[in-house]
Amino acid sequence: MKRTDYVLSKLFFDLQSAPAAAEYRADRAAVLDRYALEPEIRAAVLADDVATIAPLVNPYLLRYYCTASGMPEAEFLEKIRG
Amino acid sequence: MAKLAGVFAASHAPLIARDWHLFEEPLKAKLTSAYQRLGARVNAAKADIIIEIAPDHWSNFFINNLPSVCIGVGATHLGPPEPFLKAFGHTTLAGAPQFALHLLETALASGFEPSVSHQLALDHGFCIPLWRMELDPLPPIVPVIINSLEPPMPTVARCVAWGNLLASAIASYPVDARIAIVASGGLSHSIGEPTMGAIDEAFDAGCIRAFEAGGEPAIVDYLDAALRTAGNGSHEVRNWVAAHAAAGSHGFELIEYLAVPEVYVGCAWAAWSLAA
Repeated sequence: MKRTDYVLSKLFFDLQSAPAAAEYRADRAAVLDRYALEPEIRAAVLADDVATIAPLVNPYLLRYYCTASGMPEAEFLEKIRG
Repeated sequence: MAKLAGVFAASHAPLIARDWHLFEEPLKAKLTSAYQRLGARVNAAKADIIIEIAPDHWSNFFINNLPSVCIGVGATHLGPPEPFLKAFGHTTLAGAPQFALHLLETALASGFEPSVSHQLALDHGFCIPLWRMELDPLPPIVPVIINSLEPPMPTVARCVAWGNLLASAIASYPVDARIAIVASGGLSHSIGEPTMGAIDEAFDAGCIRAFEAGGEPAIVDYLDAALRTAGNGSHEVRNWVAAHAAAGSHGFELIEYLAVPEVYVGCAWAAWSLAA
């Protein structure tokens, strides 16, 4: 059974809202302060380390998150395909 | 008594709306034609109510409360939350609460325990087929969400049972109404995975062969094996399985199949035979 990171999933779920995504793009750290992420997961998020994040969340949520964070589709495809 | 007016299926993809302006004209024409040809069948069915079986794409549910199956019993549903679907033009869609409650009660009396929602948002999975099929008038919708997004999911065999239940609920509904079923989703696609964008045409062909041939064991056996390696979005074919069983499993007519890398989806459109 894969490990699901609930807090990370909740962050990605919440960022489907356009105002939340805008806030996140403007100040990631301020938004992340509201989520009790494990330190290494927070660091992976700040670094756009898709390889570390991907096994911890639903793939659809991951894609939505990358779009919400402002990552271009081509960059996401490159990162997710490894 | 109510009557099953027709059983149909169509693929969906958010990029069919979001990226439409980027597509070459021949692709636009092929997609438009496929949806319109299926839409003509649905319009001809003159349904008073459509049961639409679709996945939820994190629009209504999260992993704090994720139903395997949910029936929308609301008098109205919210339109698609995705901003790229504004052109659909429906901020709300009519429901059919009387029939939806009958379906819910029939399910509970038959050993099924679906979740119930009095207000669902119908995301692109529901609305792209409704929009692109150009249904006129758009009948009231009874949404049925089968979880095909986050494992573990209902088994393929259970989706057959759900299809049989839908047929039973229609047959026992004591109102003179024509009720159609539209399944939305599939066929193969992979989203947010290392295989993102891969279209498994062999998987799609296997599905189509099994649905065309009719019967239930073959499609269950095929999907139990093939879904293990098909992309994550391919699990939406569960909706097609429920439709197949609801139609009596006599086989379907494939209206169109298009592998469309521009939208990441092996797209298909089909109408089931209602008699052997």
